[in-house]
Amino acid sequence: MKKMTKFWNAVKIPLLAILCSLVVGGVIIAVTGSNPFKAYYALLQGSGLAPKSSYASYKSMLTDFMSYVNYFTPMIFAALAVAVALRAGLFNIGVSGQMLAAGFTASIIVGYSSLNAVLAKPLVVIIGLIVGGLAGALIGFLKYRFNINEVVSSIMLNYTFQYVISFFINTFFVDPVSRQSKEISAASRLTLMDTMVGNLKMDIPLGIILALLTVVAVWFLLEKTKLGYELKAVGYSRSAAKYAGIKVGRSMVLSMTISGALAGLAGVTYYLGYVGSIQPKVLISTGFDAIAVSLLGNNNPFGIVFSTMLITLISKGSTYMKSAAGVDAEIASVITGIILLFSACNAYIKWKMERGRREKTNKTKEDK
Amino acid sequence: MDIVIIDGLSFALPLFIMAIGGIYCEKSGVTMLAVEGLQGFGAFIGAFVAVAVAGNFSGDSPVPFYIAMIMAAVGGSIFALIHALLCLKFKANQVISGVVVNILAMALTAYLTKLLNRVVFGATSDKFVLTVSSRITIPGISKIPVLGAIFTNLYPFELVIVAVAFIAWFVMYKTRFGMHLRACGDNPHAVDAAGRQVGQIRLAAIMICGVLSGLGGICFAYSISANFSSSIYVGYGYLAIAALIFGNWRILPTLGACLLFGFARSGGYRLVQVLQMPSSYQDLVMILPYVLTLLLLVFFSKQNGAPRALGVIYDKGAR
Repeated sequence: MKKMTKFWNAVKIPLLAILCSLVVGGVIIAVTGSNPFKAYYALLQGSGLAPKSSYASYKSMLTDFMSYVNYFTPMIFAALAVAVALRAGLFNIGVSGQMLAAGFTASIIVGYSSLNAVLAKPLVVIIGLIVGGLAGALIGFLKYRFNINEVVSSIMLNYTFQYVISFFINTFFVDPVSRQSKEISAASRLTLMDTMVGNLKMDIPLGIILALLTVVAVWFLLEKTKLGYELKAVGYSRSAAKYAGIKVGRSMVLSMTISGALAGLAGVTYYLGYVGSIQPKVLISTGFDAIAVSLLGNNNPFGIVFSTMLITLISKGSTYMKSAAGVDAEIASVITGIILLFSACNAYIKWKMERGRREKTNKTKEDK
Repeated sequence: MDIVIIDGLSFALPLFIMAIGGIYCEKSGVTMLAVEGLQGFGAFIGAFVAVAVAGNFSGDSPVPFYIAMIMAAVGGSIFALIHALLCLKFKANQVISGVVVNILAMALTAYLTKLLNRVVFGATSDKFVLTVSSRITIPGISKIPVLGAIFTNLYPFELVIVAVAFIAWFVMYKTRFGMHLRACGDNPHAVDAAGRQVGQIRLAAIMICGVLSGLGGICFAYSISANFSSSIYVGYGYLAIAALIFGNWRILPTLGACLLFGFARSGGYRLVQVLQMPSSYQDLVMILPYVLTLLLLVFFSKQNGAPRALGVIYDKGAR
């Protein structure tokens, strides 16, 4: 029973945030002259959670759903990256840049090689971990050693990665037709694309297995290990942690390294999984949306799985929503933004609720 | 050489005015990472109004530009209210609040630009096309060798920015309000004890930040791309924050930082042109301001004097 109330208290505020944003989004859609219910239903249809009226050959609701799973796998990693840093009191806004760095390095080392699938796929994952981890460690080190705000340094690194990688792609690896980097080999790709299963052609994302294992691993790290305890202690109060004998600098660098490594995994499952190439000069929004996802999931690894499914549902379904309900796809990011806005207030709402409850109990005591 | 100075200035000054906005906000004790979103939203409002009123004026009239500047300032300050609401009323984490404002600004302006284009102007476009701002050369002093380039081919907004920046400097360091504002960032309880409302002063500071960021945003929209679209979000807002940290939260050293960024950028571009390198090398040059920021922060962050109460939520009852 006690566990149930604890669980309810944890999900109450995120649910409120989602509800409020859906209402606000619905009002915007209604004002611009479309039917919000139809639009929201189209979001579900676009993600394979509700049947569409017709399907192309080899396609069904299941293929839509698999493509949705393929789409949200990187987001789970990205949101975990944000969450680990946030738990340690750091703000990793450089997830997108770390994803790009990891994806690019893995592409040129493995993606353009002729390694067979058994070697290539694990190698891609390991490179993702290392490159992302190094990028994260650099940010943590700059913060610890030189007192540079991690937000500023990670944004500077974002742009540096974006332009340097765009330069290399345009100079060495460009595909003259698509104007993107050359497609990576199928053996190195973490998603089995267009695989025939029965009479369906579907994308099978192998990354989702790794993602779910990582969720458990991150939960274990944060809740059951000494390191996780130290990270959280630093996150609550740096001075108290220092007083308790925790090496604050080491914890900060470590948490950013873990966060970066998770972002690296997000990068390889995105660039070598969901898409097979890199568009130069573009920093994808996954790393920024991951902040919304993580906040909405209370920075809890299991909460993140659900918030990931929700937020990616909105963006994945928006393309179909545009064609089916005639609503601009950009509304998806507006709704995500509003969810973020409400989630940011969650400390205040929590405090208000608790105070309300306390006043109520005080009152009943007085009445007695 | 002249081109380096001319282009460098037209980049550095909008950056400078946004950085001053950031200084106002941070000096009052509120962490400000929302400059990026505020400049974008300000530029969006300004550009929309400019396009809407452009029909009433002749093609090369500067009036829409000045209207756009005013509206951008208004738009920026209105959007800054979200940051104020989150930080002051809802006591949210100020870093997160800043990022939320940025993400919301990007999403909203992208959506609204499309919507307004369709509904108001009957066009399917994701940008507002602005007229190219005319340039002025001040006769006489522009003839001085090297230094004369500062007065050559100026965008009119550069003069406006210099004037506004001077006023902002004066208010910050020479008036009673400026002193209260700076005190809010260092010791808000003292301000409270002196009978001033900390919340009100911080609200004013956040709104001033919105005004100045909006101004900077519309200047970028006019000078770099001559239109408003999502391409306005290229991180100049964050660059402005880096400039103010590098400038140690003081206005004059921040000007130096902004000039450095501006000249690094224009000098790099010029280098690519002079050496006749292929255009993809421009990407490498583009990283100059960012890498320079990081390097400079490595050397200067240690002894920085951030306002003491920066980012701390004001609690009247705390001691």
